[in-house]
Amino acid sequence: MIDHSVSAAANMPVLVPEPSTVPVPAALPNKGLITQFLEWFGDLGIFFWNVLRAAVTPPFEFRELFRQLDEIGSMSLPLVALAGAATGIVLSMEARFSLTRFGAKSLLPAAIVFSIIHETGPIITGLVVSGRVGAGIGAELASMKVTEQIDAIEASAVNPYRLLAATRILACILMLPLLTLAADFSGLIMGWVTQALSEPLSFHQFINSGFKGSDFSDFLPPTFKTMVFGLIIGLIACFQGMRTQGGAAGVGRAATSSVVLSSLFVILADVVLVKLIIILFP
Amino acid sequence: MSRSVRLGAFIIATLAILIAGIFVIGGKQYLFTSTYELKAQFNDVVGLDAGGDVRVGGVHVGTVHSILLPNKPGDKVTIVMDLGKSTHQIIKQDSVASIETEGLLGNQYMAISFGSPKAADVRDGDTISSQPPLEMADLLNKMSGILDTSQQAIQNATEATANLNSISAKINAGQGTAGALVNDKQLYTNLEQTSSAMRDTMVHAQAGVTDFEENMEAMKHNFLLRGYFKSRGYQDSAELAKNEVERLPQSEPTKEFSYSAKQLFDKQDSAKLKNQKSLKAGGEFLRDNQFGFAVVVVSAGMAGDTQKDLVLTEARAMVVREYLVENYGFDDSQLKTFGAGKQTDAGSDGAWGTVRILIYPTGTEIPPTKQTPAGVSAETSSEQRTPASASAQ
Repeated sequence: MIDHSVSAAANMPVLVPEPSTVPVPAALPNKGLITQFLEWFGDLGIFFWNVLRAAVTPPFEFRELFRQLDEIGSMSLPLVALAGAATGIVLSMEARFSLTRFGAKSLLPAAIVFSIIHETGPIITGLVVSGRVGAGIGAELASMKVTEQIDAIEASAVNPYRLLAATRILACILMLPLLTLAADFSGLIMGWVTQALSEPLSFHQFINSGFKGSDFSDFLPPTFKTMVFGLIIGLIACFQGMRTQGGAAGVGRAATSSVVLSSLFVILADVVLVKLIIILFP
Repeated sequence: MSRSVRLGAFIIATLAILIAGIFVIGGKQYLFTSTYELKAQFNDVVGLDAGGDVRVGGVHVGTVHSILLPNKPGDKVTIVMDLGKSTHQIIKQDSVASIETEGLLGNQYMAISFGSPKAADVRDGDTISSQPPLEMADLLNKMSGILDTSQQAIQNATEATANLNSISAKINAGQGTAGALVNDKQLYTNLEQTSSAMRDTMVHAQAGVTDFEENMEAMKHNFLLRGYFKSRGYQDSAELAKNEVERLPQSEPTKEFSYSAKQLFDKQDSAKLKNQKSLKAGGEFLRDNQFGFAVVVVSAGMAGDTQKDLVLTEARAMVVREYLVENYGFDDSQLKTFGAGKQTDAGSDGAWGTVRILIYPTGTEIPPTKQTPAGVSAETSSEQRTPASASAQ
């Protein structure tokens, strides 16, 4: 692949992904940090636009979408469920310790339930999936890029944005809320088990007192905000993978940077999303 | 496991979790059961929030749907509640809504009391009456009032205790009458001696009274006084009513002996017998025949004082009875007396009165004995009246 300048990349035909800037500063020492940062965002915007255009126009790549749904959704379930369970146990123990200290032990189920469904479940799911799926997508697309498979796909008149990027990003968006529900569920179960080991407490009682006074704004918005996490993970991982340069080392860098950047953006987006949910669902 | 089966299982399982969550939360808000709306108005909702519990009899049966501020000052805050249909049977028009607090500092919730069985049912959207909530500040105000009062009470008690202390100290020290009583042995000895002396005095007084009675009895037989009692016809006024019945029996007598008082007695105002022999027929009948009981009935004429005549008739009946009992042998418990007092049907010698002996058959119920004789009761009642009226003046 021939190197292009930034302006050349912007003016290229949209079907051909020509990510010319590399986010690793060492590769292009002649550009300033701010310039690189702005370039990266600009390329991301273009990439997103290309993917969006490819995604909403037929033909749709359902086969690939189902493959990705399975790869991203059901294959991530054990990891996410385990992470949620561990979080539930830790939360349960910590909350018990601190609430007993303040004499508010009766609020324990509510504290566990609220903290899991409000924040812990979604953010843990987002981070775990960005680790597993972000690295996977980044590495896969990067190796396809460096071995020129993407060029081959393009040469066989298939839009790589549609086939590779749109399916993965859509799969991330669809699967993240479901994985969050799984994480919530296993977290609540393990939170209850941890409580029940300390003192007798029926699951029904735990759920009843845990969900006391809760309404849908406590449950649905935090769950479905993870669709944004899914978008961020899929978009950044695909973007980083498809703009890889420089052989095996480039693949490694792409994998690392997709995990790091998607995790970072998930957390940053969560800040905005939480504030937005509080405003929209008082 | 094929890829699509795995994916399908994953999607179905996680969607099941989503639906379960929706139903758990929706169930708390009664979104999936049929509800009806009730309203209540309060001046102050003490921080109750929309979404709060509504409880009937402590059972969570609904949620606070919304809290509406009034449109103008002076109006009340309206609370709109959604209640499960199951409460329709127990909440009536006379149910009262109140805002309660869980524990001392817990959450606020609405409590609705049970309605009375006869009251009308509530309809959707009705407003039920409310009871102003108990605020912590009010409670503390009341508490401080109670504390003030109890402080005063304790102060009073302390003063009383101090007084008691000083009294008991004085008693201990032997001051005052009580002190002397407690501490002075001699006083006790004196009291004991006095009471034993009083006992002796009483014994002597009793002996004196007996002697006096004997003297009186002797005096009655003394020639100076003997005449009075003799002309009166009897000695002891206290025994006038000893055998007198309260009333005559209802049934008819089987035999009746009738005498004129003039024929039997010495004087018009005396109970002294003069012509005892004329009682012979009656006495012999009583001696020779079986009978239930007999009554000597004496009546006086219309002349003279009523009270004196009553005493006179009682005395005459007694005297006739004594004569019959002494001279003819029969069971004297069967012979009773009855002083009838003034009677209009007193026979030919109207002023003197009559004496009749009424004989009743076996089985006739003997009327109860009269409690007090006319003479004695008249005296005692007048005696009782005098001091009472004196004290009243």
